[in-house]
Amino acid sequence: MKNKSYEIFEHTADIGVRVKGKDLQDLFKNAGLAIFQISSRKQFTRNKAHADIPIKLSANNLEELFVNWLNELLSLSSAKGLIFHNIKINKLEDNALEALAIGSDINNYKVNTEIKAATFHELKITQNEADWQAEVILDV
Amino acid sequence: MSEINLEKIDDYRWRIPKSYKPGMRVPGIIYADEKLLKDIRQDKAMEQVANVAFLPGIVKASLAMPDIHWGYGPCIGAVFATDPEEGGVITPGGVGFDINCGVRLLKTNLQYEDMKDKLKELTYALFSDVPSGVGSKGDIRVSAKEEKEILVKGSQWAVEKGYGTQEDLDCTEENGAIQGADPQAVSERAYERGKAQSGTLGSGNHFLEVQVIDQLYDRDACDELNLNLGQVMVMIHSGSRGFGYQVCEDYTRNMVHCLAKYNINVPDRQLASAPVNSPEGKNYLGAMKCAANYAWANRQCLMHLTRMAFERIFNRSWQKLGMFLIYDVAHNIAKIEKHMLDGKEKTLCVHRKGATRALPPGHPALPQRYRKLGQPVIIPGDMGRNSYLLVGQEGAAETFYSACHGAGRLKSRTASARSVNLDSLLKELESRGIIVKASGRSTIVEEAPQAYKDVNQVVDVVHNAGLAKRVCRMRPVGVIKG
Repeated sequence: MKNKSYEIFEHTADIGVRVKGKDLQDLFKNAGLAIFQISSRKQFTRNKAHADIPIKLSANNLEELFVNWLNELLSLSSAKGLIFHNIKINKLEDNALEALAIGSDINNYKVNTEIKAATFHELKITQNEADWQAEVILDV
Repeated sequence: MSEINLEKIDDYRWRIPKSYKPGMRVPGIIYADEKLLKDIRQDKAMEQVANVAFLPGIVKASLAMPDIHWGYGPCIGAVFATDPEEGGVITPGGVGFDINCGVRLLKTNLQYEDMKDKLKELTYALFSDVPSGVGSKGDIRVSAKEEKEILVKGSQWAVEKGYGTQEDLDCTEENGAIQGADPQAVSERAYERGKAQSGTLGSGNHFLEVQVIDQLYDRDACDELNLNLGQVMVMIHSGSRGFGYQVCEDYTRNMVHCLAKYNINVPDRQLASAPVNSPEGKNYLGAMKCAANYAWANRQCLMHLTRMAFERIFNRSWQKLGMFLIYDVAHNIAKIEKHMLDGKEKTLCVHRKGATRALPPGHPALPQRYRKLGQPVIIPGDMGRNSYLLVGQEGAAETFYSACHGAGRLKSRTASARSVNLDSLLKELESRGIIVKASGRSTIVEEAPQAYKDVNQVVDVVHNAGLAKRVCRMRPVGVIKG
């Protein structure tokens, strides 16, 4: 299923991603899902088991929280061998987040790109009249 | 597109004056010729050279090598040094996520003409024996206790396991183990991410290539290294894998808070930093060194797997095949080094992010075998053109003994993937005698030669600016990509 809530913009060495969400929670959810939709595609059903990973984060401000969130997902994905295909944001404030990341075995996926991390470089989070938008550069 | 008014110092050096941005403590200097400069202006890399000049304690200048391109925090190709005694800082962004990403070059005594019939078989054997691809896991399994040993011992650990010799260590920067690694400064998550990835190549721009020497530049240096036209070489490019990414992420997260704590004013939070002598700075350095040692052990394991694949195909021991390491260099690292500054010896924290150390002949940090010649500097190019072997020169004193690290990207991965047709690229490479094997089809188009600057131009600048001297040039014949 293609998530239409993001698009890729040009960066010489890395990947820039522009994400939209109807509210802040939606923005965090869409950004989290986008990094896995960019890097992997479901190809097999070798292991049907799902893993629900609770995530609790705090930060000094919203931008830090956003970068920490994406990096936590990438880090957990690599450490646990999971691709996250669903996310439930349970609580979101400017400096705290509680969520559930739902993943399945990485061996069910063809992973095309290794995203090393999300960066602070040229990070933008903006609230528009009708929605929220974030731009983030991912190190690949 | 950058509109910075550069001051021309000479044909290969361009200055961004300190007055360009209020807050710059030193000027920026970019090593490039006019042709490369046109490409460099296309993205935001020059702005990043100026941003680095904001870092507290930075000395002399924020430098950029000719393979400069847009990164995050500092540009790729960045070299800068800070003085810890003057409040100088260390920044994880100045090393990058792939800590001690680097490259090693080994020679063989095979001539291309004598082995080309076996090239395909060899390339396929290397692809099958050397784990590659995203999150690839290796056959070289390590226990939790061993992982901690790797972080301190680096390549020495691999040699003790039988994956190489003492001579390999002698031919590795820092002998394959930088002193001062602190496993206590590493998070549990980093251990978790690193445990299954020893002896794996990874993906993206990482590669293993069988190459052939196609041009000799310095006959004396080639004689000393026993290198001839047509000789088969192997180049390995990899880093610290998930372990290093996690160390960088942990400490960037931590050091963002240090900006306010230590009153550090930088235009980009990816330059998050802390004084080298602060607890946060010391912890990062201790953890970064662990990742650096992990990477050296990794490249040592990859070389071992390569030697074993050659043994299998040619039915001779790797020693009989003359597969000796020329050198291994780190190109993403921060190190405490001694340098002359205004006539005085200073202990500085030198950051090289996409830059290679290039020690001149006679430097005391060189192993005896390279004292007379200077440090081998290994510059990989793209999969369709060339790679180089150079040696450091005294002229590199002005760059804290540093040179470039590669060709440098020209096009984004998405632009490259859009403009390159995989089948025609593979056909074209094959018609030029280059066999490519990759885990992912997308890697090949993203890493196509067109995505890179011409390494020949980049190396010309390094050579002509007197930073490092060309020894010989290789062309790829067998390419393994992640």
